[in-house]
Amino acid sequence: MSSSELLQFLISGLQNGAVYALVGLGFTLVYASTGIINFAQGEFFMLGGMLAVAGVRMGLPLPLSILAAVLLSAGVGVAMERFALRPRRDSGALVLIIITIGASMVLKSLARHIFGPNEMALPAFTPGPPVLLLGAAIDRQVLWIWGLTIVAVVGLTLLYTKTKLGRAMRASSLSHDAARLMGIDTAGVVMISFGLAAALGALGGAAVAPLTQTAFDVGARAGLKGFAAAILGGLGNPIAAVVGGLVLGVLESLSVAFISSTYKDAISLVLLLAVLFLRPQGLLGKSGREKV
Amino acid sequence: MRSRLAGTLVPAVGVILVLAMPFMTTDRYLFKVLTFVGLNLIVVAGLALLFGYAGQISLGHAAFFGIGAYTAGYLTGEAAVPWLVATLVAALLAALVGFVLSLPMLRLKGHYLAMATLGFSEIMTVLFIEARGITGGNDGLRGIPYPSLGSFKIDTPSGVYLLVWITAIVVLVLAANLVRTRPGRALRALHGAELGAQACGIDTGRLRVQVFALSAGLAGLAGALYASAVGFISPTTFSLEFSVLLVAMVVLGGTGSVTGPVVACVLLTLLPYVDALVPGLPREVVSFLQDWEADIAGIVMILVLLFAPGGVAGLLRRSPRVGEAE
Repeated sequence: MSSSELLQFLISGLQNGAVYALVGLGFTLVYASTGIINFAQGEFFMLGGMLAVAGVRMGLPLPLSILAAVLLSAGVGVAMERFALRPRRDSGALVLIIITIGASMVLKSLARHIFGPNEMALPAFTPGPPVLLLGAAIDRQVLWIWGLTIVAVVGLTLLYTKTKLGRAMRASSLSHDAARLMGIDTAGVVMISFGLAAALGALGGAAVAPLTQTAFDVGARAGLKGFAAAILGGLGNPIAAVVGGLVLGVLESLSVAFISSTYKDAISLVLLLAVLFLRPQGLLGKSGREKV
Repeated sequence: MRSRLAGTLVPAVGVILVLAMPFMTTDRYLFKVLTFVGLNLIVVAGLALLFGYAGQISLGHAAFFGIGAYTAGYLTGEAAVPWLVATLVAALLAALVGFVLSLPMLRLKGHYLAMATLGFSEIMTVLFIEARGITGGNDGLRGIPYPSLGSFKIDTPSGVYLLVWITAIVVLVLAANLVRTRPGRALRALHGAELGAQACGIDTGRLRVQVFALSAGLAGLAGALYASAVGFISPTTFSLEFSVLLVAMVVLGGTGSVTGPVVACVLLTLLPYVDALVPGLPREVVSFLQDWEADIAGIVMILVLLFAPGGVAGLLRRSPRVGEAE
């Protein structure tokens, strides 16, 4: 394999990896503030793509329909937390898992009713020939995906470290009760985490839709990959989710290059199980026994 | 006294009704629909033990169902193995896979456990599609022979119905009795408080592995029966949606009960096929129910957890039992 071919595989790995990172960041945000794994996270990825396509078909300009898709998805995430999860807040993990599973079931089939069962494509953000780099071609949309991921990560980091809200979020993730005693509106923090998580998933879904097309049923697979990214890096840590996503994307793409393309999805899932079984705290997580 | 009488009378009447069905009707469609109910009951019995008693959730039981179906389909179709042998091998293989999977899963609980079973299920979906030599890929396997014992062939809808339901009744009776035995009590202790159970000398790890393997084996058995009853299998049947629907049945049924999940399973399975029971039903109503099956199941699942966490079992039960609340 020539070096430019290898570079091409690397680029496509980093492209998928960035999307996994966005979805994985959503898992990490919700987990950090609530200890819940949101099984509906993948559906926000689906909603982002589908709502953006719907917006374009209704005649909205592309940037506006993407923005609307992200905001609407965030609204759905907030509503889900407020009306389906908060009332059973103090129940065991099992109940909360099943509620998010129920929510993902409903979101997915509602999407099929509203948008139809067919695959849909979003127009490229900026059409044009691919950019050439050392003999490898980079689609312009890939540059968008990378750019948006970087903006999202920098924005999140700033939010976490520089703002009062971010400090409240970090405090609640350390100890919910202590944060509440210090006067932090923990319920508000949880709601914002769900909204942000949904927005990040939706952004990933909208950004990748011009390249891969989208459909009502893409959520489950995207959710699993995003979760794999988050768990690979170590749940609860945003940087780890991004690293996890990129590593996963590149591994997947290299496995296509060197092993086989048919089992690409299986390989990343086997990796997920291996990490879950062998190192549940993630590659970057602190070792030592955690409550899993 | 009254409730104990009802406790034996209602199932007895149910069994008689089930067995008398072939003498009351010859409706092929009705038998087909009821066969699906019976198959789901076999899976749900295992899941009820796993979820309701051991407190574990699996999003991968459609995959075990698929393992059973493909094993039986391949063995009876391609390899011409006798039906009974193929069915047993299919159930055992599913149980074995469940056993092997559950060993590393011992380290996991709650969210992580559910995600691991989901990952497993997706891996199997990829395998069902890509391992074309055995599974036939996206086209699936066709022409799987009907169940047969020696030269006796069960090839009528009512015969297949009876076979599935007799199996389901045997499985349900065993499951209902298992929870009253020593391992059954240990299972309930596991759900109540794992540490407490350990302190009482229960090997909780071994128990979790056993109950997972058992429920996987039951799903495999149902899958094997499905393959020979329908004669055709393809990967779309063994999808995540099916796993979720199975979990929905157990959740709607309520934890700590076998009766509740049975009722919920019958109701949810019949939902898209109500026209088999109510012949005069307008076509639009039926197609609406089929189209909105997943939405209805999902919304009902959320509502039940929000407002009636005991599920059907909680509604059937007059007074809450000790250790019931989450």
